[in-house]
Amino acid sequence: MAAAEADPARAAPALARPGGRRELAPGLASFARSGTGRAGTGLAVAIVLFSFLGPLVYHTNQVTVRLNLASLPPGSGHPLGTDASGYDVLGRLMLGGQSSLELGLGVAVATAVFGTLYGAVAGYVGGFVDAIMMRVVDTFLAIPSLVFLLIMVNIFTPNVWIIIALLTMLSWLTAARLVRGEVLTLRTREYVQAARMMGGNSPRVVFRHLVPNAIGVIVVNATFTIADAILTYAALSFLGLGLPPPHADWGTMLSNGLNYLFDSYWWMVYPPAIMLILTVIAFNLVGDAIRDALDVRLQGR
Amino acid sequence: MTGYLLRRVGQAVVVVIGLLIVIFIMIHLVPGSIARSVLGVRATPGRISLFNSTYGLNEPLYRQFLTYLGQLAHGNFGISYQLQQPVSTLIAQRVPKDIVLVGLSTVLALVIALPMGIYQAVHRDRIGDHLLTGASFTLYSMPDFFFAFLLIAAFSVQLHIFPPEAPSASSLGGLLADPRALVLPVVTLALVSLASFSRYMRSSAIEVLAQDYIRVARAKGLPRRLVLSRHVLRNSVLPVVTMVGLSFPSIIAGAVIAEEVFNYPGMGLLMYQAATSHDIPILLGCTLVIGVATVVGSLAADIAYAVIDPRVRYGRG
Amino acid sequence: MRTLRGLAAAVAAAAMAVTFAACSGGGSSSGIGAGQGAPTGPKEKGGTVTMAWIAAAPNFIFPLAPATNTDGYNVNLTQPMWPYLVYNGDGGQAAVNPQESLYSSMTWSAGDKTITIVLKPWKWSDGTPITSRDFTFVYNMLKADYQNWINYLPGQFPADVTSVSAPNSRTVVINLDRSYNPDFYAEDVLGYVPLLPQHAWDKTSMTGKVGNYDETTAGAKAVYAFLQKEGGDMSAFTTNPLWSVTDGPWKLASFNSDGDYSYVPNPHYSGPDKPSLAKWVNTAYTTDTAELDALRAGGSLDVGTLPLNDVQQVGILKSSGYSVASQPLPGVAAITPNFYNAQVGPILRQLYVRQAMEELIDRPQIVAKAYAGYADPGNGPVPVQAFSHWASPLEKSGGPYKYDPARAVSLLKAHGWKVVPGGTSTCQSPGTGAADCGAGITAGQGLSFQLLYSSGTAAMDQQEAAIQSSEEQAGIRFALKSEPFNTLVGQFGVCTASSHPVSGCAWQLVDEGYIPYNLYPAGSSLFNTGGVNNNGGYSSPEEDNLVNATEYGSSTQAFYQYEDYTAQQLPWLWLPLESNVWVYKSNLGGFAPLNPISGGLNPEVWYYAK
Repeated sequence: MAAAEADPARAAPALARPGGRRELAPGLASFARSGTGRAGTGLAVAIVLFSFLGPLVYHTNQVTVRLNLASLPPGSGHPLGTDASGYDVLGRLMLGGQSSLELGLGVAVATAVFGTLYGAVAGYVGGFVDAIMMRVVDTFLAIPSLVFLLIMVNIFTPNVWIIIALLTMLSWLTAARLVRGEVLTLRTREYVQAARMMGGNSPRVVFRHLVPNAIGVIVVNATFTIADAILTYAALSFLGLGLPPPHADWGTMLSNGLNYLFDSYWWMVYPPAIMLILTVIAFNLVGDAIRDALDVRLQGR
Repeated sequence: MTGYLLRRVGQAVVVVIGLLIVIFIMIHLVPGSIARSVLGVRATPGRISLFNSTYGLNEPLYRQFLTYLGQLAHGNFGISYQLQQPVSTLIAQRVPKDIVLVGLSTVLALVIALPMGIYQAVHRDRIGDHLLTGASFTLYSMPDFFFAFLLIAAFSVQLHIFPPEAPSASSLGGLLADPRALVLPVVTLALVSLASFSRYMRSSAIEVLAQDYIRVARAKGLPRRLVLSRHVLRNSVLPVVTMVGLSFPSIIAGAVIAEEVFNYPGMGLLMYQAATSHDIPILLGCTLVIGVATVVGSLAADIAYAVIDPRVRYGRG
Repeated sequence: MRTLRGLAAAVAAAAMAVTFAACSGGGSSSGIGAGQGAPTGPKEKGGTVTMAWIAAAPNFIFPLAPATNTDGYNVNLTQPMWPYLVYNGDGGQAAVNPQESLYSSMTWSAGDKTITIVLKPWKWSDGTPITSRDFTFVYNMLKADYQNWINYLPGQFPADVTSVSAPNSRTVVINLDRSYNPDFYAEDVLGYVPLLPQHAWDKTSMTGKVGNYDETTAGAKAVYAFLQKEGGDMSAFTTNPLWSVTDGPWKLASFNSDGDYSYVPNPHYSGPDKPSLAKWVNTAYTTDTAELDALRAGGSLDVGTLPLNDVQQVGILKSSGYSVASQPLPGVAAITPNFYNAQVGPILRQLYVRQAMEELIDRPQIVAKAYAGYADPGNGPVPVQAFSHWASPLEKSGGPYKYDPARAVSLLKAHGWKVVPGGTSTCQSPGTGAADCGAGITAGQGLSFQLLYSSGTAAMDQQEAAIQSSEEQAGIRFALKSEPFNTLVGQFGVCTASSHPVSGCAWQLVDEGYIPYNLYPAGSSLFNTGGVNNNGGYSSPEEDNLVNATEYGSSTQAFYQYEDYTAQQLPWLWLPLESNVWVYKSNLGGFAPLNPISGGLNPEVWYYAK
């Protein structure tokens, strides 16, 4: 699995502000100014438009297998040729984009939600409960991810939701650790202690003060999770554990296409590879830019 | 420090046992009969029951698990159903191969990433930084199997410079005797971790460079190279240390994709085949070894942390 | 933007790689026949052949493997050293090979219940003559513990033997408890019995003395157990003195547990086909792509198989000094329906449903596109290319069910189904009448099934996707699920009318890839009631009679009758079966033509020529 963007060693931001929402503006401005932020967002938006609006403009049949049309090079009617089952490659790229993006987003959201809740609770409650919760995380982290996926895919017949659930199970651990780290640092801040002394009950403190300050870290981690989920699923399809036809996604297209690499059927290989790479780059750029903007906001520069 | 170590070791034991329990339960949840999986199409009811009784598969799950723990205590990892070999022998054969492959690639990645990260931090936002960032991003964003194929297509099939498969020797000496064959697999693996190591190094070095003590050192007239190698390197290497510690288990677990593409049967392929053929002894044995590697790696990273950064102290919790 | 430069660099790198890949490959695919014909230069002695195997790692060297050891590659390891009594596969023919078999004559008498075998006057590698005592040694061991022998088929050798005698040192007389079809028994049963050196192996421990322990049941069991224990010790395959006593053309020179092993000729081999080569090396590859990379990179491989999705590579390989030959596989590919699945069993039991399904599979197109023409057309239970002399005229002409979607739709409609092309057809008229859906099928039940198949081949993925798409023309929905073979097998239980537990019978349709036949392609254990490999539970008294007649009677007519009836009854949905495409160095003579059984495994007849 690609190394998840855990950053447990990263020092907590130098200053945290109570009720972080009010301070979003300078961060957003900084993000909007940065080259990486603009490039990444622009690229991501372009890919989303391509995948979701493209099929409305460019109609192809992505369900019926027509072997008599298999492996045609780019030419009339098929700007990027057809693949081994006779599907139009350009149309399939669009559909593949939809599933890859939905998958990535689904995993990122689920990871953010579970990871945040778990990590926030562990960090805030602390002590023995925290130790137990973190040992559980350690246990699951020690499971070889490949073995885990192989076994789970055999227990459950994979569909999109199952895949999202499985990939979430692999990525929530690092999110939880991250959030816990943030919360641990934040809870010693004076305003939190003040809130508690003033009688604010725990969940309120957690949600009103801790989570918004940790939101930066959560969002950064989420964008990297999107990219990682898309890559991990591509690796899964290569190993034969992906979703069966007629489901389309870039990872399966690429790994199927690689079978024909030596036959110089390049249109089956490079288009999905380039789409994959561009999407992952886009989300990584966005994540980097948000992280830089966070630093700016919190260091008050 | 001793108290801390003892506590961590105790927790590690608990984690490893918990890990075994989780895998044990998971593998038994897979539908289908284990005997059928292993015996394949020649499974007759007679053979199936012979198989089940030989391997104690008719016992209740908890009893099977306790039997396994008991065997482990005697150093017996069991016999693989599929390969009919002692699991300990199999693991002992395969782990060194992965240590060579993944170990070499991690070292290579570090050797390139650390200076690269510092360079990027020093020349931040200039052309060199952007080019290297772009290259790193691209490498990081490529699926590793795709990358492996490209390398083979270019350097092996097209240019005939390197062989398309990793060395097939079993001994350490044999593996290292054919360095040409190691180049492509090591480079494939290194390039992926290189990208993430250098990004961490870069961001960490940027933070360190902004610190006051660096400015003081420069103001005192220390040559830049000294500042970089003595202060910046040492202080910014911390997150990378954690990452290396976290990636230690993958040195043991191997890299399935590299092993498959480069014909290098290591732990990754062993586990892949075991997971698809219900070979429980291998799965449990490998999980145990990887689990131990994980806790050792994480402990080693924490200790290295304390050594490198004297401000970190482990006393309480 | 400065960051875009980084991206530009990435695009440039990708473009460079495009040029590389576009340069590789290409070249027209010339036809692949049975082989290019022998090289014309003078025959050289010596030379090494390096041969590639995919995911093949033998682990047992004693030729009689235990029932728990299912590694199918062990026979590759042992057969060159201890050939079977009946050696199947001769040149390009699926026939018995008289030169490499160990007997000079085999006569049947007493109504095909007695076999008299005369052994050839050959010798073991230590000079001792091969005698009938070596046969009785094997027989005694197996008789004592045949349940623990991987090749034992219920009711057959040695359980069906009433007595064995050795009137002289070269003659064996076997008395069976019933009469058999001689072809069947010789090829399918005795084709798995080797001769083993009693004078060297008849002991119960490494340091013990050789004796006649096998003559008592307890002793035979002890010897068998000892040999099996030694047989699994991989580190001693080349050093254990037991394994150096061989009667085959080869001797093991090196072995490692990853599947790499090599042979040198056995200088004391008595047969006429003495090896010309000096060394035969077998290397295992993890995947076929790794093997193809090695073939393309040139130099290290002399013989290997070509994955069918790379059949375009033939042109390039031919210009780099390789020849290509195809080998039909001795078996059948099919989709097995589960007649006793809780949800869809009743639907699958209806013959007209199976007929409709079969008529919606465009086999010729799959052969042409997914397998590039290198596949058996799949017209029925007997592969027409591999076993052409056992293929009936009906099968040779395309089988009873040609691709006919219109007929499939009308069949369904005639039995009360509402056909929804592209959707799911549903039963509108449940019941048991002639125009009704059939017993056990409820109103509104849909034609929706799960097709489980074994993953790993691009061609298979293409085939299943094509089948799924094609069945939709009549509203039959196949939901595809691919799994690694071992996982699939774990769920693929035997389901019969009397026993179909959910744990092994949740499957509905399974494509396990390739069901192998022995030289005599009988349907025993596959289509007869209670057959051990009859996973779907097909049961028909007429089928049972016909299968019996092929095993225990001897006429070709009986075989054709069995074949035509089975083809028509569709206990399985017949599918094309891909052939092996071998790539071998052009100056390697004797390799082609390949027979389906032993082709590729007989390097004793290969030679290098200029």
